[in-house]
Amino acid sequence: MTFLQPFILFALPLIALPILIHLINQNRHRTIPWAATMFLLQAKRMARGMARLRYILIMIARMLAVAGLIFAISRPMSGGWLGLTTSGAPELTVVLLDRSVSMEEQDPKTNRSKRETAIEKLASVFKDLGRNTRIALFDSATGQRFDLNSPEALLELPETAPTSTSADIPALMQEATEYILTNEAGRTDVWICSDLRQSDWNPSGGRWESVREQLRNRDGVRLYLLAYQDLAPDNLAVSVSGVHRRETAEGAELVMDLKITRATATNDPIQVPVTFAIGGARSTENLELTGTQLVRNGHTIPIDRESKRGWGRIELPRDANSSDNVFDFVYAEPAVQKTVIVSDDAAVADLFRLAAATPSDRSLVYDAQIVPESQAAVIEWDKTAFVIWHAPLPTDVLAKQLESFVAMGGCVMFFPPESPTEATLFGTQWGQWREPSDSDHFVLSRWRTDADILGNTLSGTPLPVGQVATYRSCEIVNENATVLAQLEKGPPLLLRAPTDQGAVWFCSTLPTTENSNFVSNGITFYVMIQRAVARGAAALGEARQYDCGSLKSTVAEAWTPLDDISGRVLLSQRTINNGLYESEEAAFALNRPLSEDAVEVVSDGTLEQVLNGLNYTRIDDKAGNTMALASEVWRTFLVLMIVALMAEALLSVPEQTLRVVEQKTIKRETAVQPAPFPKRTSTLKT
Amino acid sequence: MYGTAVAPPTGLPWQRRGEFTMRNFVDPKVVARLQGLALDARTPMIGSVSGRHRSPTRGSSLEFSEYRKYVPGDDTRRLDWRAYGRSDRYYIKEYEADTNLRLCLVVDVSGSMNFGPDGSQAEGTTKLDYARRIAGTLAYLASGQGDAVGLYSAGQAFQKEIRPKRSGAHLKYVLDELGSMKAEGETGLPGALHQAAERIAQRALVVVISDLFMDPEVLKGAFQHLRFRKHDVAVFHLVEQNEIDFQFDRPIRFVDLEGAGPLLVDPTTIARQYRQAVQDWLEQLRVVFRDSAVDYHRVNIEENYADVLARFLLARKK
Repeated sequence: MTFLQPFILFALPLIALPILIHLINQNRHRTIPWAATMFLLQAKRMARGMARLRYILIMIARMLAVAGLIFAISRPMSGGWLGLTTSGAPELTVVLLDRSVSMEEQDPKTNRSKRETAIEKLASVFKDLGRNTRIALFDSATGQRFDLNSPEALLELPETAPTSTSADIPALMQEATEYILTNEAGRTDVWICSDLRQSDWNPSGGRWESVREQLRNRDGVRLYLLAYQDLAPDNLAVSVSGVHRRETAEGAELVMDLKITRATATNDPIQVPVTFAIGGARSTENLELTGTQLVRNGHTIPIDRESKRGWGRIELPRDANSSDNVFDFVYAEPAVQKTVIVSDDAAVADLFRLAAATPSDRSLVYDAQIVPESQAAVIEWDKTAFVIWHAPLPTDVLAKQLESFVAMGGCVMFFPPESPTEATLFGTQWGQWREPSDSDHFVLSRWRTDADILGNTLSGTPLPVGQVATYRSCEIVNENATVLAQLEKGPPLLLRAPTDQGAVWFCSTLPTTENSNFVSNGITFYVMIQRAVARGAAALGEARQYDCGSLKSTVAEAWTPLDDISGRVLLSQRTINNGLYESEEAAFALNRPLSEDAVEVVSDGTLEQVLNGLNYTRIDDKAGNTMALASEVWRTFLVLMIVALMAEALLSVPEQTLRVVEQKTIKRETAVQPAPFPKRTSTLKT
Repeated sequence: MYGTAVAPPTGLPWQRRGEFTMRNFVDPKVVARLQGLALDARTPMIGSVSGRHRSPTRGSSLEFSEYRKYVPGDDTRRLDWRAYGRSDRYYIKEYEADTNLRLCLVVDVSGSMNFGPDGSQAEGTTKLDYARRIAGTLAYLASGQGDAVGLYSAGQAFQKEIRPKRSGAHLKYVLDELGSMKAEGETGLPGALHQAAERIAQRALVVVISDLFMDPEVLKGAFQHLRFRKHDVAVFHLVEQNEIDFQFDRPIRFVDLEGAGPLLVDPTTIARQYRQAVQDWLEQLRVVFRDSAVDYHRVNIEENYADVLARFLLARKK
C-alpha cells in the first residue's frame, strides 16, 4: 500500500499503546480487603476461557482502532497492485508511453482506446500521489523525453496523442535508464504503458540485457507494467504495397498488393467492403475474407491515362481500431530499382548483382552496378535505392556519404570483408571470422518473422530461413542493434543497426559456397535482397512511401497536404501520423509500419525473462476500464477504527441489564420466610 | 403474658456510669423502641423457672390446655369436679406450663466478618460490629424478659462459650465478651454449630449471626444438627451490598480477610460469573434454611439494625 504521508507510519508502534496502558493500569490497581474470596475464585474459574477471549478481543479492538487512526491519517492509496508496496510518493516518475497504432484499439462501449485509458489512469494516480514527484514522459513515437509540469498535462500534450508509428520499447527503456542514472534520482517509479506487442518489445534483442544490468543494481527503481494485451477479435487491418502505375491498352491502371488481416484466427468468411479513394474519387468493392488474412497480389484499379502522378487511400469500415483501417499511397512513374554493389571480389559481387537485378516485379526496372571500393566515391547516391557494401567499413568521406545516403531514406547492407578492420560505422564494427567448433556449419536458432526483410510473406508463409547453413561467420559488434536472425553457438546472421531513417543491415556471412548455402538455398537470399531494394526504392522517384516515425519531423515542414485529413495533422506530428503530402520533387505517403498489424504479444514467460531481476509489478488492464488504479482509502480505515471502537465498547461495557435484574432479585429476597413450624398438638404431652 | 422490665430509654445503667464503654453497641434508643416487642420462641422451651414461653410440659399456669382422663396416681387436686358433675367421669384439667427461654447467641468471628461497606474496616462499620449490635440488643431484651442468655463465638473453632444464665451480672459478662470479640482467621462456623448443638443441653433459641461464606451443604448438616436437638434456630445473614453486586470497573487487588493470598482481578472480566456464583450460593442457602426450618434473615449491613430486629421480633410473634 502506498501512503501519501508515510512518515506518520512511524507512529505505528503506538498500536502497542493499549497493551501499555493495560499494563500500567494493572500496576496502578487499588488494594482492598475482601471477604467473599470464594466467589472471586469461583468466578475466575468460570470465566477463564471466555474472559481471556474477551480480553484478547478487547485488546485487538483497541489496537485496531489505533492502527486504523494511524493508517487513516497516513492517507493510504489503494488499488489491486498498490497493495504490494509500502512507501510514499516517488521522487521521480518516468512514463514510457507506447503510442503505437495497436494502442489505439478501443473499447466499443466507451470508445476509449488503450492509450487513452492508460494516460487517464496515470494522470489520476499521479494526481493522488501529490505534486512532490517529477514526471518525465518518454514518447515512443519520437523517443524524446518531456518533463511534465503536472499530471494533467498527460491528458493535454500532443506527445500523448495517437500516432501511426510503431514503438521501440527496448530503446525507450534504454533512454529512460540513462536518464535515471544520469539524474541519480532517488526513488523512481517507471511506468510502462504498452499492449506488449512482440514487434514493439523485441524481446530477443540484446538491448534488454544492458537495461537489466543497469537497473538491476539500481536501488529504489520500481517498474510498473500497465499492460493492455487483450485483442479485439474482429479487428481488421488493411495495407497495400508495391503501388505503381501501369499503362494498358485501354488506358492506365494502378497495380498494388492488397492485404487485409484479421486479429483472431477463424475460418468464418466475412464480406469486407473496401473503399478505394483515388485522388478523391471513391469506389467500394466487397471482398471476402476467410481465415486471418486476405492477400490480393496485383490488384488493379483503372485510372486516367493522363494521371501520371497522384494519391489514394484504402479504407475499411470502422472497427475496434480505426487507425489500421486506412492506408495511404502515392503513385508516379516508378523509379529505377537501382542497386550499387561495392566489392573487390568479382565472384561475390556477381552473386549480389544476380539477386539484386533479377526483377521480382516485371513492371519495374531493375539495375545493379558493381563498383570497386576505390571508386565508391563516384556512386550516384540520389539515384541509388540500395547499396551492398562488401569491403572494409569506410571511414572519413565515404562513411559520411553513406550516413547521408541512409539519412535520405536509402538502404545499405554490409557484408564482411575477408580482413575486417577496426573501423566503426553506424555504431557497428566487424569482429573476427568464426567457424563452428562441433559441426561443419552454424545452425540458425531464431529469426524475426513479424517484420523487416526476413518477415513472413504477405500470405503469412515464413521464408525458409531455417534452411540457411552458415559455414563461416564474422562477429558483429553492436549492442544496440536489432537481431533479425541468430546463429546457434555463433554470432548473429543478420542484424539491423538503429537509424533515424533508411535502413542499415549487417550480414555476418557471404553468399559463396565456402561461407554459406545462400546460393543453393537462394530463396532467402533473393527475398532478403529484393526487399531491401524495394525499401530503398520507396524513397526514390516522385512517389515515396515512408513508415511513420522513420523521418525527422523537420523533413515534413515544407510539405503540402494532399487532402483535408492530412491537412488537419499538426506540423510537428506529420511524420508520426499517416498522411499524404507533396513537395516540389515528390509525393509522400506516410503509413503505419506493417509490423503493427502483427498481433503476437509477448508471452508471460518471455516477459519474465525480459524483466528478469528487475523489481516490477505487472498490472493488466483493458481499454475503457474505468476502475481507478489507485484511490485514497483513508475512509475505509476510519470506518475500521469506528467499528473497532464500537466492538471495544460492546465488549467492555458491563452487562448493565443483567445487573439491574440481579439487584432487584437480591432486594426481593432480603427476608426469606422459614418453613412453618408444626402446630402444637396433643402429642406434646408429658 | 408477662410484662418486660427493662432499663429506661435514656440510657442504660452502666453506660450512665461511664463504665463498659465497649458496650456502646447496645443503643438505648433502639432498646426503648424494641422493648414493647417480646422475644418469643417458636417452639416450646424447657426452662428452669416460670417464664413467658411455652413449655412442652403441662403446668399450672392460667392458660387452659386440655382435659384428660384421670389415671391412678394423678394428683386428685387437679380433678375437675365440674366436669365430673356433668359427665360422671373423672377428668384432669391441664394447663399450659410457661417457662423461661435460653437464648444462645452464636457470633461468627472469622476474618471475613471484619469487612464493612466498600471494604472499610473502620471501627463500628464492619459486619462484626453489626453482629455485636444485633446480639447485644437481643441479649438485653432477652435478659430483660427474664430469659437466660449465652454467648458462643465461632472462629476457626469454638472459641468462647458462655453458658446461658439469667442474672444481670451475667448479662454484663456477655456484653463484655461481645465487645471484646475480634474477627480473624478462617471460619469454623459449621464445627462451632455442631459443638453448640451438643453442648446446649436443653431446648434453646439459637441465634446465629454470620456472613455464611462457606459451602451451603456444609452448613446444612450443622443446622440440621441443631434442629435435631429441637432448638429454635434463627440466622442473621450479614451481607455487604458490594459483595453481591460486585460493582468495580478497574483492576483491583483483593486481599482475603481470612488469610488466603491476594488476588489481582480485572472485575470487568469476571463480574458476570461472580454475580452468577453469588446468586447460586444464595439460592442454595435459601433451600438449606427452608428445608431445615431455620428462621433466616438476610441483612444488608448498611440497613438500620433496629429495623432488622423489629422485623425479626414481629415475625416471631405468635
